[in-house]
Amino acid sequence: MLLCILSLSMVQLFAQMRVTGKVTDAADGSAIPFATVVIKGTATSVPADANGLYVLNNVPENGTLVFSSIGYETQEIPVNGRAELNAVLIQQAVGLEQIMVVAYGTTTKGSYSGSATQLRQESFKDVPVLTFEQAIVGAVPGVQISQKSGQPGSLPEIRIRGFGSFNAGNEPLYVIDGVPATSGDWSSGNIYTSSMNFLNPGDIESVTVLKDAAASSLYGSRASNGVVIITTKKGKAGRPVTTFKGNVGISYFAMDNYPMVSEEEGEVLTREAWRNYGTDNPAQWQKYGSLDNYVDVMTEKYYPSRKSNLIYENWEDQLFRTAISQNYEVSISGGNENSRVFASVAYTDENGINRIQYMKRFTANVNAEHKMSKYLRVGGSIQFSDQKQSGHQDGQAKDNVFYLWKVHLTPRWPFKYEDGSYWMEFYDGGTRVNPVPQFDLQINDATQMRVMLKGWAELNITENLKIKSLLSKDYLKMHDRFAWLYGHINFTAYGQGYASDRHRFIDRIVSSTIANYNKSLGKHNIALMAGWEAEREEFLYTRLAKIDFSNFGATESALASNFESGYTYRSNSNLLSFISSGSYDFNSKYYVSGSYRRDGSSRLGPETRWGDFWSVAGSWRLSNEEFIKGIKWINDLRIRGSYGTSGTLPSSYFGYMAVFSYGLYGTQAAGYPSNLANSDLTWEKNRNWNIGLDVRVFDRFDFVAEYYNRTTEDLLLNATVPSTTGFTSALTNIGSMVNKGVELSLNVDIIKTRDMSLKAGINWATLKNEVLALSEEGEQIVSRPHIWKAGYSYVQYYTREYYGVDPETGNPLYYSNAILPDGSRDRTLVSRAKASSTILEGMTAIPKGFGGFNFSFTYKSLSASMAWSYKYGHYVWDNAVDDLEDDGYNSYKNTSKEQLRRWQKPGDITDVPRRVAGNNQGGYYDSSRALKKGDYLRLKNLTISWTLPQTLLGKVKISNARIYVAGNNLLTFTGLNFDPEVQANGYYNFTFPAVRTLTIGLELSL
Amino acid sequence: MKRYILSILSITGCIFLFSSCKGFLDTKPTDRVVAETAMQTLYDANVAVNGLYIDMKYQDYYGGTIQLLGDERGDNIQPRVMSTGWVQIYTLGYESESSTYFSTWERCYQTIMRCNTLIANLANLNVTSASDVAKKNDYLGQAHAVRALVYFDLARLYGYPYLKDNGASLGAVLITEVTSPSGSRQPRSTVAQTYARVFEDLNTALPLLSKAKNTGHFNYWAAKLLQARVYLYKGEWNNAYAAATEVIKDSPYVLATRDQYINYWKEEGTLETILEFFVSPQSGIDDDGGYVSYWHNLWHGAPSSGASLIPTVSWINLIQSDPNDIRAQFVRTDSQYDPTKAWFNKFPGNGGVNFRYNNPKVLRLSEAYLIAAEGALKGSAGATVASGYLNTIRKRANPNVADVVATEDLIQIERRKELVGEGHRFFDQMRLGKSITRLDSDGHNFAESAGCPGTFDWSYFKIVLPISHTERKSYPELQQNPGYTE
Repeated sequence: MLLCILSLSMVQLFAQMRVTGKVTDAADGSAIPFATVVIKGTATSVPADANGLYVLNNVPENGTLVFSSIGYETQEIPVNGRAELNAVLIQQAVGLEQIMVVAYGTTTKGSYSGSATQLRQESFKDVPVLTFEQAIVGAVPGVQISQKSGQPGSLPEIRIRGFGSFNAGNEPLYVIDGVPATSGDWSSGNIYTSSMNFLNPGDIESVTVLKDAAASSLYGSRASNGVVIITTKKGKAGRPVTTFKGNVGISYFAMDNYPMVSEEEGEVLTREAWRNYGTDNPAQWQKYGSLDNYVDVMTEKYYPSRKSNLIYENWEDQLFRTAISQNYEVSISGGNENSRVFASVAYTDENGINRIQYMKRFTANVNAEHKMSKYLRVGGSIQFSDQKQSGHQDGQAKDNVFYLWKVHLTPRWPFKYEDGSYWMEFYDGGTRVNPVPQFDLQINDATQMRVMLKGWAELNITENLKIKSLLSKDYLKMHDRFAWLYGHINFTAYGQGYASDRHRFIDRIVSSTIANYNKSLGKHNIALMAGWEAEREEFLYTRLAKIDFSNFGATESALASNFESGYTYRSNSNLLSFISSGSYDFNSKYYVSGSYRRDGSSRLGPETRWGDFWSVAGSWRLSNEEFIKGIKWINDLRIRGSYGTSGTLPSSYFGYMAVFSYGLYGTQAAGYPSNLANSDLTWEKNRNWNIGLDVRVFDRFDFVAEYYNRTTEDLLLNATVPSTTGFTSALTNIGSMVNKGVELSLNVDIIKTRDMSLKAGINWATLKNEVLALSEEGEQIVSRPHIWKAGYSYVQYYTREYYGVDPETGNPLYYSNAILPDGSRDRTLVSRAKASSTILEGMTAIPKGFGGFNFSFTYKSLSASMAWSYKYGHYVWDNAVDDLEDDGYNSYKNTSKEQLRRWQKPGDITDVPRRVAGNNQGGYYDSSRALKKGDYLRLKNLTISWTLPQTLLGKVKISNARIYVAGNNLLTFTGLNFDPEVQANGYYNFTFPAVRTLTIGLELSL
Repeated sequence: MKRYILSILSITGCIFLFSSCKGFLDTKPTDRVVAETAMQTLYDANVAVNGLYIDMKYQDYYGGTIQLLGDERGDNIQPRVMSTGWVQIYTLGYESESSTYFSTWERCYQTIMRCNTLIANLANLNVTSASDVAKKNDYLGQAHAVRALVYFDLARLYGYPYLKDNGASLGAVLITEVTSPSGSRQPRSTVAQTYARVFEDLNTALPLLSKAKNTGHFNYWAAKLLQARVYLYKGEWNNAYAAATEVIKDSPYVLATRDQYINYWKEEGTLETILEFFVSPQSGIDDDGGYVSYWHNLWHGAPSSGASLIPTVSWINLIQSDPNDIRAQFVRTDSQYDPTKAWFNKFPGNGGVNFRYNNPKVLRLSEAYLIAAEGALKGSAGATVASGYLNTIRKRANPNVADVVATEDLIQIERRKELVGEGHRFFDQMRLGKSITRLDSDGHNFAESAGCPGTFDWSYFKIVLPISHTERKSYPELQQNPGYTE
């Protein structure tokens, strides 16, 4: 092996000469500036100049030159003793000839019958994001992406073609360079994080989203929710290129979430609520002498006037800041025809807009491959990442600063005493205090270290037969900490503090061996693949929690006195698979393919653990038929279809087993059954069909249309079981559900001249989701605010139906919706207590349409692009209505501006009821009032970049320099009064909203 | 070349062997135990016995809800302000659709399932030595006794008082074996059938149970006192009297004296406690500090208390009518939240260390005295005997009070004083067909303004809890209580 490597560096001793020439574009003959020219088999290379001209010395007379440039096909030309050698490069294939990375291999788009969308790195390289998912929002038809929280490093939620599952998880499988990878949030959930954060977006070459069965069935039991294939950057042959990229950015809330009433309006509303209460209950104010006096006293109690000896501040200024983020990366790429290496290091430091929010990440990446002989290629990679993320809980948590700010911190809440110390009291009944001095007394962070090691060898046994063996280890260490340090007012038993450390180690070993056979016989092309894959996931968990710190300022549990909880355990989840596929095409016109995979999983009982997954697909390339070839304006025309199956495994490792859990009763061990057994538990099965049409016309318009229908059967659900079993739920296969929709995308090259190009793309997708059956006819499962019932969507809302306000009394009115003897619903208007929940026809979180559009423009060295995303026709559940639009129920809380429209006097027509202190009408509570139209349009990102002219750079030996500015979430149009990027089930509950980011960056290549 | 091929094939082969070897797909948890092998020894059975009690201490059962449903629905305890403090319990504002109060039902059946599992497993456990047989019998007795307690609680929470209609109203779903989800979809039995189940379990348990003290667990005396209580609820006065007096006369428990009384509430396993449930910081009750117990809500003095529940004015007036009554010391007026309102410090927590960690005392000898008094008065033993038991409790609180002749009202008043905060008042009034009247302390009669009658008795439909709407959606056989809308 050493000999082989040595031979690489050996220089061939032949006659040498000087070669000059020009590199031009095949399309219009224009020069290609800065193309790279390499002497094949050596490290010698030069860049062409701005006019495409190059000079290369010491070229072997019988050598070969390799010409390459970004966006063009690499071309090799033998010198054959010529002193002038011009290269005409062909623009890299777009459309149907494009190489695509797909399940267990690559293919060209034109010969692929499945449904997949590939995004190349160029389309998101400047977008200022921590993780690639954020950069592709709106870019893939049929895929909805949202963030669980706007805090740095939060978990993205990806829904490919709707909801495939009830609660086995709707997240896709991630495959990184051919290896199914650990993904998802492995923390304890105090803050959302993602194990995929370990990937620096700058190291990604391409992302392919597999959508239909033909594309994803090869991943079998984990492919139901689609597959995201990530290909990382590899070294490129030629002169080593060192690239430095750095950017700095600032961010703040993307929009004004929940506009609040002013301080004066707040007082007016509080007074009004108490006056109304007193008017209704005269007995209450008797001992205060008069109603006026009573209102004064109550208002002072609940919304106290500002005191001259206390300092009040604008809470927004105290809680938030304009956050600064920085990102630096250096990469080196190089190699020759036999060996190629790519290496990178990157550092990211992103601050959140509250000072306890941040994420820091260091990544290092080496990827190398070597051709050892005609028969054997070997390669390997190391991806390392270390990241630390800090933040606070989301939702109605007492440390969610966004929630505190919006709900509890009124302008009348003092900030400090005159002497400068913090005001740390609370209003009557409150359990919230000034959070600012507590920021340094709480720890809520997640640290992840991840190493992905991979080695492979590929053996070319014959020209047609290849065997590739791959072994990878993916090791994730997740450590999350939650601590209230000494002095934190946490309203719990832990007066002297609490610290909990949880470590999770996920060790995944994947081994696969795949044989590929390709054969072309004239017009017949055959490709066959078969192999196996084994995966062993070991999960090790340790936890230690202690209470009562020994010292003020102690931060680790080593300095806490009392044990609270501590234990460790491990579990394994193993998967064994056999994989095969085959494809055949005739004369590049007719394509058929099929796949079959057999998976065995340890997560299911012995009788049910093996599952078979298969697909068939075909396409017809009409544009290669004689009768269409003659039509000049049709460049490509193809129809395709597929059908197949895939599955979803239970997320629980041992969900099928009856088990005992153990705890402590007093000082003695206590054991009890903790899971209802289900030996029949089986995979969730997905049946998926897809038809598509690909058209390219006038060499300008690319149009793709697809229709899909995917049915999930044996839905896995921690289904409610009768409580009389002693359990509230059991993992069960309960029913079936369908997702179907249309996806359209159109890309147009509006202008394509030598100096200028303008491209525009738009995609639009629909989704119809319907629960087809549950385990019993007519069964309904309430999962507030949703209900699951056959005939309705998975995210159908179910609640009391709000009518509005009685113009005479100001009281909220509801439709009774009680079931009448004839089965119909009673539509009389009643108070909330008498109203029944009902299925609100047509109100679901499923959008009528969603997608995105983008433009990219280049003019000489200037380029600009923008991407928009949109979604419409869906409803979101705004849980903040309970707190911010409570019609006076809780006088301590802040009030949304929506309450200014409240009913005030008989005859007022409004949908906001009369404000009454301690309101027992409950108008705000669990009703369709919390449902709001979620339509939005958002400018997700805008980037403008300028490549510095070579005349400036030549002297400093920089081959390429580019500066850019970019922004995220710059514009938002929505009818909602809060951030509209709500998770796909429509439920919003004070998660930290999205931020707007502006960055400026520089990229230099040496 | 061949070398490469061979090495790759052999590596591949090795990996293949490693992965395909038998058992690769047979994995087992290490933080739990597969049920089939979980109860193979008597020690395992003992651990499973502890498992019967471990979750009964949670807030939704004996960690708060039972006490709130007994005292706050009665006239002993109320929310301090109208916005927090289990207002829905105070105002009887629960509905079938509210999600808050139904975990009690689930908790009860969780405990029943554990009893049923233990009973089934014990049947397969063979022991020979006399001491092992005694242990096994005790474990089996505890399983039956715990099940009796839970079915009794279900009957009084979800069914109307027995004496209202001789148990004709709907009671619990009777499940006495380990069942599948479909086997568990049974309709509710009547209150009378539920009571019959309770007595059957107690009769099974009593001969099996050990008579030795067993803190935190049922023993013979705890089962006997429970039996006395159930007889009382059912109006079988002589039986109640007989069972209660057996506990008083033959059990190893003694009444706390007046001097011991205040400190008694901090103590574990002492004096008159016949059954309590262990609560400790190590018992996982408060994982991330998010748990808010009933005791926490009552505890008004510390800055981190919930401070949302206070004694009612009428209870304060009652107890303070005799300032020398030791129990008047439970009323304190040094609240850090609202000095104008008194708070209640009967439960200072185990050892007085932390009010959150408070063993709920479920059965005490004082209750046996009060049951004996009531049983004697209404049964054949007579008022004189009744007065003896009643005056013992009265004079323990204040030795200087004059003896009284027992009447139903006097016994009820004494129960109200003695058992405050332990979850009896509402059930005591309801079981006798008496009424509850609220006198809110600060003039905010928000129970009434929230639609709760100022005075109600067993004719009011909301004295029984609703069955969860959500559960009924998937389990329609489970009959709703009358009056509740869906």
